[in-house]
Amino acid sequence: MPTLLSTPFKSIMPGLGAVTALAMCLTPLTLLAQDQPTEQESPEQEEAPSRAPIPLVPGEPTWDSFHGQLNAQKYSPLDQINANNVGELEKVWEVHTGDIADGSGDLPATVWSATPVFANDTLYIGTPFYRILALDPGSGEEKWRFDTQSSLEALTQPALKNRGVAYWEADDPVAGEPCQKIIYMGTMDAQLFAVDADSGERCADFADNGVLDVNQWNDTNDRWPLSLLQPPTVVGDHLILGWAGMDWAYEQAPPGTVFSINVRTGEREWTFQALSDEMREQSGTANVWTHMSADEERGLVYLPVSSPSPNFWGGNRTEEVPLATSTTALDIETGDVVWSRQWVHHDIWDYDTVAAPTLMDITVDGDEIPALLQATKMGFLFVVNRETGEDVWPIEERPVPGGDGSVDGEVYAPTQPFPTKPAPLLDQSEKPNVWALADAVGFGECSALWEELSYEGMYTPPTTQGEGMLGYPITAGGAQWGGVAFEPESQTAIVNTSHIVQYLKLYNREAYEEADSGSGNESGFAPQEGAPYGIRLEIARNWLGMPCWEPPFGELVALDMTTGDVKWRRPMGASQQYGFFMPESWGSPTIGGPAVTAGDVIFIGASMDAKVRAYSLETGEELWSDQTEAPSVSNPAVYEYDGRQYVAFVSGGNTILKDQVGDQVAVYALLE
Amino acid sequence: MSPSLSSKSGTLVLLIASLAGLAVALYAYFTPLTGVTGTLGALVAIVACFALAVMALLLFKVKGRGVSIALRVLILMGLAGTFFAGILLHQWWISAAMVVGLIGLIIDMIRPSRHAHLTHT
Repeated sequence: MPTLLSTPFKSIMPGLGAVTALAMCLTPLTLLAQDQPTEQESPEQEEAPSRAPIPLVPGEPTWDSFHGQLNAQKYSPLDQINANNVGELEKVWEVHTGDIADGSGDLPATVWSATPVFANDTLYIGTPFYRILALDPGSGEEKWRFDTQSSLEALTQPALKNRGVAYWEADDPVAGEPCQKIIYMGTMDAQLFAVDADSGERCADFADNGVLDVNQWNDTNDRWPLSLLQPPTVVGDHLILGWAGMDWAYEQAPPGTVFSINVRTGEREWTFQALSDEMREQSGTANVWTHMSADEERGLVYLPVSSPSPNFWGGNRTEEVPLATSTTALDIETGDVVWSRQWVHHDIWDYDTVAAPTLMDITVDGDEIPALLQATKMGFLFVVNRETGEDVWPIEERPVPGGDGSVDGEVYAPTQPFPTKPAPLLDQSEKPNVWALADAVGFGECSALWEELSYEGMYTPPTTQGEGMLGYPITAGGAQWGGVAFEPESQTAIVNTSHIVQYLKLYNREAYEEADSGSGNESGFAPQEGAPYGIRLEIARNWLGMPCWEPPFGELVALDMTTGDVKWRRPMGASQQYGFFMPESWGSPTIGGPAVTAGDVIFIGASMDAKVRAYSLETGEELWSDQTEAPSVSNPAVYEYDGRQYVAFVSGGNTILKDQVGDQVAVYALLE
Repeated sequence: MSPSLSSKSGTLVLLIASLAGLAVALYAYFTPLTGVTGTLGALVAIVACFALAVMALLLFKVKGRGVSIALRVLILMGLAGTFFAGILLHQWWISAAMVVGLIGLIIDMIRPSRHAHLTHT
């Protein structure tokens, strides 16, 4: 199910500029692990076919997919740029694609989260106008471009979105034959294009002259097209394809089928459905809208499955839906479920599993474990054995609040899974403190709002009462689609997180029609049409738009994966509004993700201030930064070309962070 | 330097500092990748520096003690606010220009009173 972060809700921090004259406070959040009795699941285990293993410490630099590598580690063994010299990094080339719109004209605004893909001695990039660019990695000179001619309409999203391209090459290429190396990119209107990686010409043997109409399989509750915003995950000769939609709009929506497509022909090989046939009709989604990871040695692809429809009411899906809001491992060849772990039972908070799980081999208590780390919107990091789905550190089923009886037809899961390690990225166990500065400026407005918001800890259910329930976090995360990076030498995981308080209220249909101002894009109203309740989801702010909760608003966190303990954490980036930068000690909400290298350097954009930064892997110290055109809401790419190491950022912006768009590809290297 | 010009040297420094701040603010607003390109904050800095320059020119002209004092108070507030805006915009040269402008304002406040004192003794 597409995240509400991809909905029209307004920027996270629109009022930070209002604190310009008051920039003086810092009150760091404390984080608490939660110790409760345990009750573990026992997923089934299956044998899987064998391919090349995921090396513990990869020798060859690879950055040929959305998360760099199929294991989603976002790790490069390159060390030409390292912690000692990264301060000398210079921008060596930049490209402005021209595919940009701020929404003020005829076109919707652009949201661009593409990771550059380095393969075939070329840098490939998809744009939010659904064009593919092939660039020289050393100079940025354009080799070719392909225009899908897709209509530039916001059919399912509030903006024109793109998260880049996918790359495949044949193990046994036929000399002289085209399309032995292929670039794939989807469009919002559900068309998947396949073009030759050398020439940019369509691959005639793929589907209908190089175009696959995925919407031909949109046969249940087809209220909108299956938008292909995330590039497919390429596993061997399979394209594993999920899609996005607009799940906040309807009770019944297209159910979240995942397709396996033949890389050469576009033929459908198998499908995965998270919902039962009955549930597919009466609910929908539980789709995969973000990237996936895969372990080819074990023959498994890992799906981050989202929540069923509608997002915030579950009266139409009261039976158990065990594969929803889960990480589910499928057999790559058949699509059969090998194991699945559900992270939220009866999800009525839109806690879509938000990023590809990161695969890693870790040594815990002397045992080498093939592990998987799943980051979530809730701020939990779940670590399980990727062969079996079993806990690495105990994941406990703990009692959670039931409802207040105000919501007709709703049922509540009595328990939810809580990881004991690593500690949650933010402390959701208690109602966050009101920020005294915002409260003073708001003449007590924040305190008054807090009184009107119900909160009984994590998983407080939505309500019709008062101003609703406080969510910390809800849709804004926690973690987002940039996921977790992993440095295999030191077995350190790196993740960026946001600390954002939202509040959610259910309105019965009559009250909703009355309350909905008709400007849902700005007010945060969403209809959930067909359900008995519409919703209002807001950021908790005072009248000037200042956040009502204490900073920091975002952090970068490093975890020792041999113990599950935090190595270091620090506020990341700077919040910015109207051009005014807030103190860096306040941090910034983050969207985008990190990359990490053998040079002990973490590269990341992701912050409101549109800067890209390098941090020390060892200490978390900021070592370098540069200004880009707009927030870099993707993962950077790290590659080597002609003996030189480069770091590439796409600065495309996202209205979730602030109203700033960009079309810049900025590439950095050490001067020769 | 003539006594008249000498007495206005502080105002001149203020004027030059305001124009320098204006130039930096214009650069920050219009040049790509300054971090504040096209932002409301940079626009406010432009307007503030321009207003300071106009007030510095007015300071050359005004004769009345009350008007001069009011103008200097306004200028002081403008310098302080623009200094702080420069800090938050990470446009350090705007803030530096405001410090120079403050020095000019101080000189302007000191010089006329000494001149008046000498004239009456």
